[in-house]
Amino acid sequence: MLGFIPFWVEPVARLMATEGLKLTGKIAAVSVSASAVFGVVLGTLLTIRWWPIRSAIRLYIEIWRGLPIIVTIFLMYFTLPTFHVVIEAWLAGAVALSLWGSAQVAEATRGAVESIPREQHEAAAALGFGWVGRHAFVIVPQALRRLLPPFVSLLVNVIQNTTLVALIGVGEILATGQRQTERLQYPAPVGVGDSHALAIYGGVLVMFFVISFPLTRLAAFLERRLV
Amino acid sequence: MPLADFDWSFIWANHSLLLDALVRTLKIAAIAIAGSFAIGLVLGAARAYRIPLASQFAAVYVEVIRNTPFLVQIFFIYFGLPQVGIRLPGFTVAWLSLVVWGGAFNIENFRAGFEAVPYRYREAGLALGFSRISTFFHVSLPIGGRIALPPSINTYISVLKNTAIVGPAAAYPELTHTASGLIESTGRTFEVFFAIGAIYLVIVWTLSGLIRLLESRLALPEEAR
Repeated sequence: MLGFIPFWVEPVARLMATEGLKLTGKIAAVSVSASAVFGVVLGTLLTIRWWPIRSAIRLYIEIWRGLPIIVTIFLMYFTLPTFHVVIEAWLAGAVALSLWGSAQVAEATRGAVESIPREQHEAAAALGFGWVGRHAFVIVPQALRRLLPPFVSLLVNVIQNTTLVALIGVGEILATGQRQTERLQYPAPVGVGDSHALAIYGGVLVMFFVISFPLTRLAAFLERRLV
Repeated sequence: MPLADFDWSFIWANHSLLLDALVRTLKIAAIAIAGSFAIGLVLGAARAYRIPLASQFAAVYVEVIRNTPFLVQIFFIYFGLPQVGIRLPGFTVAWLSLVVWGGAFNIENFRAGFEAVPYRYREAGLALGFSRISTFFHVSLPIGGRIALPPSINTYISVLKNTAIVGPAAAYPELTHTASGLIESTGRTFEVFFAIGAIYLVIVWTLSGLIRLLESRLALPEEAR
């Protein structure tokens, strides 16, 4: 039935799906979770009107949003080992993506938290909540609803940006495709003695499109529904 | 402590290398920004005014570019196209991929800008005897372009930041690719990152400041919205 598919496709596709896609998913999951947690905490703290905290968080946001993500990835990859922080390359990439992602989330959280009406703060204070309890149980849960569309956009961006770690040699989906492309160029039995770069990179494009397109639709839908 | 032997003179000793690289970064960024401006303006108008074929083409183009990673697009152009006989040098790949990417994002900026121009304004232009084309140039473009300018500068900032991806990927010696080469040959990690990090942040922060300035300066009078 699938006889029209050339024989070299099956092992390449299997490697990309089992090894590449798995690592892409792992990096994306770690980065998105870390970005969400740190971003919401930093963004909430940013609403405190005390200048040392505000300027420290503001500096964090402007630096990690301002630097190209690939520069941050190289920075983590090259400098963490000199501080005797021994981590695998994929994790260095995930740390860099989380720095960028948390800065994005922090900025969005600040806006969402500040959009919650003052009465909510007053009512929570009247019930005896302190600053932490007020934000943890009353304000931030309401702000999270408004953060849903930016979270979905962040997910799309992080998934796409995981490909950047291919440039520090991490075998996620793009790097797996690249290695398979290079292997196929060798004569048999290693490869097929032919370049299939167009099909393989085209396949990677299709794969990301299939993942991203529904998510960008979802983000647009949530934007319309929740705002 | 690795920072203890931070050597300022190393940056000075390599300043001409880094400045040449910065010039290359700015060169591909300038070409890419000009290209994305042209694409954004033309296809953004095609989207907003539903010009047949051009509008559908632009819609598909935007979705494909926005939903696929930029690095994979570069690989497709740089490593994929040679298979069908299209061999492009690193410099061409660098600006071309940035134009294609930035253009797609800019179409949305201009589409939103043109769509924000109230219909009654164009109606007024047509009622005064302007042709549809002159109405576009004298009414929709000045107002819609003004609305689209701040978000389009945001896209240009992203284009500039993306030069850092295209350099290492297509082996074009712009700032980041030059920097990683310098790190590999000298091991002076902190000095190099300090230098290029400062350069990127100064450019990006300046442009973001420009957006804030333009947003307040170019905001339309309340009644015009």
